[in-house]
Amino acid sequence: MKDDTDHPDLRSRQFPVQEDMAYQLKVWRFEHIGWYLLVVCMLLGLLGLFSRGVLSSQDARSADGRVQVEYEMFHRNGSTNPLKLSVHVAPEATVELDIGGELLDGFSIETLQPAPVRMRSSKQGMRLWLQADAQGQATLYLTLRGDGLGLFRSHIRMPGSSDVKLNQFIYP
Amino acid sequence: MDSVLRALAMYLALMVLFKIAGRRSLAELTTFDFVLLMIIGEATQQALLGDDFSLTNAFLVIITLIALDVGFSLLKQRSGWVSRLIDGEPTIIVENGKLLHRRLRHARLVEADIMEAARSSQGIETIEQIKFAIIERNGKISVIPQDSGKG
Repeated sequence: MKDDTDHPDLRSRQFPVQEDMAYQLKVWRFEHIGWYLLVVCMLLGLLGLFSRGVLSSQDARSADGRVQVEYEMFHRNGSTNPLKLSVHVAPEATVELDIGGELLDGFSIETLQPAPVRMRSSKQGMRLWLQADAQGQATLYLTLRGDGLGLFRSHIRMPGSSDVKLNQFIYP
Repeated sequence: MDSVLRALAMYLALMVLFKIAGRRSLAELTTFDFVLLMIIGEATQQALLGDDFSLTNAFLVIITLIALDVGFSLLKQRSGWVSRLIDGEPTIIVENGKLLHRRLRHARLVEADIMEAARSSQGIETIEQIKFAIIERNGKISVIPQDSGKG
């Protein structure tokens, strides 16, 4: 915005109130820039920088494509988001999955559907066994509630396939 | 601990946001401003309390907010710089019956806003009858009439 501060309108008056127009112009500039910042925040919010949107929804796969994870990269403390885990294996096979890393430190799992065949704890996370269908597909739906703050790195591992790495950030 | 931090963060965030919105934003409450204020209050309340609806949490949040408020007023009293930063300064927008257009543009005001304030506070009919119109620190427009303008 071009401002000729010498314009008579913008000169400081001494009566009836003492003015400091240089300062007032700064205040107006702050309001002006602030307005743009609010719009930028709004647009980023629409895009999903603060969870749920194009920037946040991620689709990670293992190198061979047999493990696929759909999840939200950005979470908010106290809110819930889904995580969908699909694997492609031999028909009717029981597949072992290891969910590890910091996932369980930052999130609590509110729901886990369908119930796995078996579940047990592992060194840093949990291990579960899923029953694949006649086409060799198995899918697990989780609802995660963000409890922590900050960045959480985790991984999902299936024997014989490469790790799927998840980076998730939880906002306050 | 988190209750105090929540209240602190919310207080400061709201302060910055209302500084961006400008002093006029909620100065004269229209019906819509009133509704807006209620929605802001509703959105704030959840973030302030989280999922803890205990008396202790409510007290902690209220204590923090009041302490901050008193603290800022003490600071404002001691330092002119802080007072100016938080409360701002009055700005003249009409001088001897003439609009200061540049200032109006910056303050996001139009002549109708000034005339509205002039009519309601002084019963003034035309802009020439205004000696000074000033946006006060609280966002209200105060109007000083011309000595001989009114008959």
